[in-house]
Amino acid sequence: MIRAALKITLPIFFGYLPLGIAFGLLFQELGYPWYFATLMGVCIYAGAAQFMSVGLLSAGAGFVEIAIATFFLNSRHIFYGLALLNSFGDWGLRKLYLIFGLTDEVYSLMSTIEVPQGADKPQFYFLMTIFSQSYWIFGCTLGAWAGTKLVFNTQGMEFAATALFAVLLIEQWIKVRRPLPFIIALIASAIALLLFAQHMLLFAISLSLIMMILLRSTNQKVRNEY
Amino acid sequence: MNIEYLVIVIAVMSVATFATRLPPFLLFSGRGQHPLLQFIAKYTPPMVMTILVIYMLKSVDYLSAEGLYAAIALIVTIGIHLWRRNALLSIVAGTITFMALVQGWF
Repeated sequence: MIRAALKITLPIFFGYLPLGIAFGLLFQELGYPWYFATLMGVCIYAGAAQFMSVGLLSAGAGFVEIAIATFFLNSRHIFYGLALLNSFGDWGLRKLYLIFGLTDEVYSLMSTIEVPQGADKPQFYFLMTIFSQSYWIFGCTLGAWAGTKLVFNTQGMEFAATALFAVLLIEQWIKVRRPLPFIIALIASAIALLLFAQHMLLFAISLSLIMMILLRSTNQKVRNEY
Repeated sequence: MNIEYLVIVIAVMSVATFATRLPPFLLFSGRGQHPLLQFIAKYTPPMVMTILVIYMLKSVDYLSAEGLYAAIALIVTIGIHLWRRNALLSIVAGTITFMALVQGWF
């Protein structure tokens, strides 16, 4: 089970490593000891928010402002749990950790892949989450600790995240085999890019969900086929 | 450099991030069998995946060589995935293609 979880999360390693290093590099320019980058990877575990924090920290932003900015930046995650309500097992530390670790990449994998035959789902998800966070912590630490001395050029490695989402999009198509959600997401993305390019993810995800639910409640054909 | 300020910021951001991931589990725990929730559970992933791909591709500068490199790497990723359906292989191949083009290995 450990090997299977490592293999499944390996694409996340390739995505998180360069991103974590990039964060660590930015962070160490603030002058704090390197291990605070590690601490952020352990406690916050959100890529975009950690990048944003560098600007907020250097500006000495207020705590309320930081709380609101972080919440809005990550607010798309509110929708992620909806696909995994019954997958995390009973309430307990493990479930809280699985919820804590629900990033874009982890959500994408969990909502698309099937767990290996005979594996306990929450336990397998737990391994996926802990491995993925380890990659992130490793990247953050490496960037802050040794960033400027790194000999390996990771430029372009961040494409792994795009490739992961593209592959999972194909897998979703194979799984769903109905065009409507993909078309709705395309339309919602176009509208979001035109109107709210800054908050594209949150707006596009909310809008597509609303459109999908409206279609289901108003259109008999959608109701029957979906 | 103010360690106390940094530690409070980390605490605030940790709580704020967790607060975005927790609500559905608090609100709908044990109600996953509701038809509307099942509908949402089934169709959010394909919509989110479509949106994430568009989001990743929108930051590419298509007037520079990077746009061409991203297009080639994406075609390699999709092509190999349709051919072999091995996620790791497709992602590694696409990423190495992009790195080779961006870093000018040849």
